[in-house]
Amino acid sequence: MIGFFVKRLLQAVFVVLVVTLFVSYAVRLSGDPAIMLAQGAGSVTEEDLRNIRIGLGLDRPFPVQYFEFVKGMLVGDFGRSFLGGTPVSRLLADALPATLSLAACSLLLSLLISIPLGIQAAVHQGGPIDQAIRIGSLVGLSFPNFWLAIMLVLLLSITFPVLPPSGWDGPVSLIMPTLTMAIIFSATNIRLVRTSMLETLSAQYIMVARAKGLKDRVVLYKHALRNCAIPLITYIGLQFGKMIGGLVVVEKVFNWPGMGTLAFDAISARDYPVLQASVTVLALLVVTANLLVDVAYGLVDPRIRNR
Amino acid sequence: MRTFKKTLLATSLAIAALCSPLAMTSANAAGTLTVALHQDPGNWDPIATFLVAWGAVGGQVFDGLIMRTPDMKLVPGLATKWEFMDKNTRIRFTLRPGVKFHNGEPFDAEAVKFTFDRLLGDEGKKGPQQSNYAAIDKVVVVNPMTVDMLLKSPDPVLLTKLAGYGAMIVPPRYIKEKGSEYFGMNPVGTGPFRFTEYKPKVSLSFARNPDYWGGAPKVDSVVYRFIAEPATQAAELQAGRIDVANQVPLAMLETLKKDPKLAVVSMGGPVALVLRYNTQRGIMKDREVRRALIMAVDRDAIIKTILLGEAKPIASFQGELSFGYDPTLKPLPFNPAQAKAMLAKAGVKPGTQIQLDFRGPDSNFREVSQAVAAYLQGVGINVSLKPYETNVLLNDIIPNGKVGEMWQMQWGGWTFDYDNTAYSMYYTKQRWNPFDDDARLNGMLHTQRNSWDQPERLKTLRETARYVADQALEMPLYSLNTVYGVNKRAKNLALPADGRFRFVEATVE
Repeated sequence: MIGFFVKRLLQAVFVVLVVTLFVSYAVRLSGDPAIMLAQGAGSVTEEDLRNIRIGLGLDRPFPVQYFEFVKGMLVGDFGRSFLGGTPVSRLLADALPATLSLAACSLLLSLLISIPLGIQAAVHQGGPIDQAIRIGSLVGLSFPNFWLAIMLVLLLSITFPVLPPSGWDGPVSLIMPTLTMAIIFSATNIRLVRTSMLETLSAQYIMVARAKGLKDRVVLYKHALRNCAIPLITYIGLQFGKMIGGLVVVEKVFNWPGMGTLAFDAISARDYPVLQASVTVLALLVVTANLLVDVAYGLVDPRIRNR
Repeated sequence: MRTFKKTLLATSLAIAALCSPLAMTSANAAGTLTVALHQDPGNWDPIATFLVAWGAVGGQVFDGLIMRTPDMKLVPGLATKWEFMDKNTRIRFTLRPGVKFHNGEPFDAEAVKFTFDRLLGDEGKKGPQQSNYAAIDKVVVVNPMTVDMLLKSPDPVLLTKLAGYGAMIVPPRYIKEKGSEYFGMNPVGTGPFRFTEYKPKVSLSFARNPDYWGGAPKVDSVVYRFIAEPATQAAELQAGRIDVANQVPLAMLETLKKDPKLAVVSMGGPVALVLRYNTQRGIMKDREVRRALIMAVDRDAIIKTILLGEAKPIASFQGELSFGYDPTLKPLPFNPAQAKAMLAKAGVKPGTQIQLDFRGPDSNFREVSQAVAAYLQGVGINVSLKPYETNVLLNDIIPNGKVGEMWQMQWGGWTFDYDNTAYSMYYTKQRWNPFDDDARLNGMLHTQRNSWDQPERLKTLRETARYVADQALEMPLYSLNTVYGVNKRAKNLALPADGRFRFVEATVE
């Protein structure tokens, strides 16, 4: 088990390193951050730009810059934002909790929606309830997240002004972004729950449970759900990466002060340190989620552990 | 099973707690003016950046020696008067007595000297503004209330430059004690508002300075919220949670205008757009062809339909407010028939292919360039549209001359002086001028840049604009309006064309 864990951990470290290397290199191909410090207000000369580049350490070769970044990261120093010089660690410390709380709430809400609906759809397979739920999830699946977000804002902030349209105004601000993310993810999750439930329900032990005279509720939620929880957990872990992508868009629309907004703005401003650090953290999150899934899977299924 | 149930229960409780009907808090406390700003510059030190978003804040907390009113007049700021001496190599400033920085430090000649030593020294070298003030040699203290600014070379735009950005006066003792980094996060100036709180990427707050030398502001506090998405700014405005939106999407203007609580305020702005020509490539070498292309495009229609009227047609690369604007210089008229004839005469075959490079993320300009392509198709020129990521276009494609036959150029400096644009665009080997090398243009640009004689400069700049139009070095398009979305409860905002807010007289209901 420990060997398995160490192997997975090393793979994870490798993935994160490759991601940061790729991002750091790619972003440097696409333009000069010096001029982004002077956009719109007035003109700058080549000499100004040269001085800024030296000040930002951009005159050094890429391997040196990348090595400095990795070295700093290992001791928890993410450097300073090119835009204004705010320590990146401070920006991350503000943004990471915001994103994690949004991700966690979305995930939980999505499970609360999709598990009961998925089960109901499976139980009433082929019937009108199943049809309704399946069509509903198809509709949810077809929404682009930014569109859904804007519609929610129109409905709940402007037509019926009950929720703040953007920013962080206390826990109420979580509702709309969470709802947006949850609706999108529930659509796929419902289908997943339904399919694996159908598979489970045809298993012999379910028949036995029913034969014992157990109540429907007990059969479904005790015997069946626990068995199909395993593929569900796996899928959710894998979904996490996709979720991060969705978060960037949803955070942007809701001006959510999280990692997505941070990374997005850092790209437009060519703010290398912030971009490198936020992408590294996001990659770490995805990798950790997958690692946890692997480990959980290994814990549950002895065959995987020993492979 | 018990743990599973427990988890479910805990989850439901957590969600319920999050969704509990908390009363929606309004950002508009009594006497607070809330402004949405498209970007967080990350540092409030006047010399750290050179960004419009900084300018939108700087005037609340800092003052310059000179101030510029929203109608472009230069008026006394921290200097009560100034005079040119020694054949314009020395400007003597008489300072305003009795002014204090927000930390209690007195404003005097030492503070002015410190500000410019810092801007022109090593500290200023790290930022993007030093060259902008390169005409200044140094500042010397004459007496506690008088300074002399010694000049290395003439700079006819210098007095304007003293009214903003890097020339804002900063407190010497405070910066020496706390350091520049702390100062950048906790700015202190002499302006109408005192800094109270900065949450990076989220908000920035100010309280009124009751001792402001220009009269205490009317509102208790000003809060800036950083909202990058124009659509989100509009939603916040509609929800009544901000008073001023500094960027609203054109598509939302009608909706905002219809809302009885809101208003749209628009005025001529600093930003102008043209299609620069690659005068060394193919058919574009021919002046008659370049002129024909201008005449083939109906700019009035583009402004009306795509920009919904929030722009004005231009004949040279500047808007009405710019020093150097010439109301008598008219753009070439829209006349596709004549354009076609000119092209035929120049031997351009119908179906000739040219390329237009533009900023891909700029959705408005994407539509504009599609319209231009359609108009040019009408005279037999096929245009392939090539979108670039903005930064790539600005940093790689244009300065290295890797452009097609024409490219989108968007420009506008806060100084509103044609010198800035014209010099950057047409002087040989400037960053934005990969192709043209014209001795006559260079001569005119050089002359006006080294003269203090403003009427003479105006003449030269107008002559420059006329010459560029005559040579057809670009297809002039339009100058964009500065557009704000405003909540009507906010009054006397004195909204500026250049985005540099200053809410001294503003009130909120």
